[in-house]
Amino acid sequence: MSKVTIMMRKLAFAALCAIAVLPASPSRAQQATEVQLTYSKGQFQPSEVRAPADKPVAFRVKNLDAKAMEFESKSLRVEKVVAANSEGVINVRALKPGRYEFYDDFNEKARGALIVQ
Amino acid sequence: MWNGTGAGQRHLLGLPLASCVLLGSAGSGRAQDASSWKDIETKYIFGFTTGSGIGLEGEKEFTVDTIGRFGKRDGHYAATETKYEFEFTPSQFIQIEFGALGSTHNIAGVTDLDDRRQVAATGGFAELRYLAIERTSSNPLSVTLAVEPTVRLIDETSGTRVHNFEFETTVNADLELMKNRLFAGFNLLYEPEVTSTLMGEVQREAKFGGSAALSLRIASNVVVGGEVWYLRHYDAANLTAFTGDAVMLGPSIYIQFTPKMFMTAAWNAQVWGREIGNPVSLNLAEFQRHRARLKFAWEF
Repeated sequence: MSKVTIMMRKLAFAALCAIAVLPASPSRAQQATEVQLTYSKGQFQPSEVRAPADKPVAFRVKNLDAKAMEFESKSLRVEKVVAANSEGVINVRALKPGRYEFYDDFNEKARGALIVQ
Repeated sequence: MWNGTGAGQRHLLGLPLASCVLLGSAGSGRAQDASSWKDIETKYIFGFTTGSGIGLEGEKEFTVDTIGRFGKRDGHYAATETKYEFEFTPSQFIQIEFGALGSTHNIAGVTDLDDRRQVAATGGFAELRYLAIERTSSNPLSVTLAVEPTVRLIDETSGTRVHNFEFETTVNADLELMKNRLFAGFNLLYEPEVTSTLMGEVQREAKFGGSAALSLRIASNVVVGGEVWYLRHYDAANLTAFTGDAVMLGPSIYIQFTPKMFMTAAWNAQVWGREIGNPVSLNLAEFQRHRARLKFAWEF
């Protein structure tokens, strides 16, 4: 077996070990706080919602409009298309205190924020 | 075989870049109030420096990322490597990327390198990125750790047939200095590699270094910036046989064309360098005089 092959196997093994020790997302282990949002006439209702810190959050988004919307947030690191006249659930990890903005990626004007305290 | 010249290559790179700047600035007049801008993904706003962004859970992206390297001590040297990359974010902490590599080499009259004009499929790579520290409204710092094993069958510098294995390890950090406006990026790089030539010779080497970058969002869809890299080269993976170092400096631009499509371009010139045992200015043995990057991405 060549030295290159041995080196490649060692590095591949090291990479696998590194992946194995990475912590999984904590949001799956705890009970999530549910946040209900309605999307109607191109706006979120309410446009500002609150949730406790260090607990996962589940957004339940009801799209009452006749066209699809995409719930998206860079700071929450989630995106999900919610079809017209339907409902979508977006699970978010436990969050630190702060303000997290979200929006409809298909509609520049539709904005909202999650306040975590 | 490929018949393009180095000058032709630069024009080919320059034309789409100029078009992109014009297109981007056309869209920049819409809103100048940063408070109304959406948050930005920082991964690609710093040029060669990689930001900490890992995308959104469930997001998939296809990118074409070309890096060109130009100029050695003598003769004519132009080489490019293109990544055809698929990336996805399976969780809110991890991003995975993989893809194929293609390369071009146009070398003539360069000391220690054979003349060559070729286009080739080069190899493949995979990358795992883990978000270790996340930015919040009260913490402007975000840090991602990344590892990227790469296998090449064509040598990056000379274009000759080899078996090369590289294991790039980076720390990608960025700071939001002004909300939605001004960002500082920092990278720490350790890149060991082992190369086996067709003659059976095995060479080990490593690159070690870091970068600092500053990027300003001048419009909701345009970010411009500058970066500086300090890179050291070793003829050993454990950083014991230092052979030279270099400082690269240059500008970058990022343009978001649509919510699902963007490009980034950067150019670095070597402004200082040294080769151990060779009293010349710049290090053109292990590094190049110029490097340029052009990347297009489509999210879906």
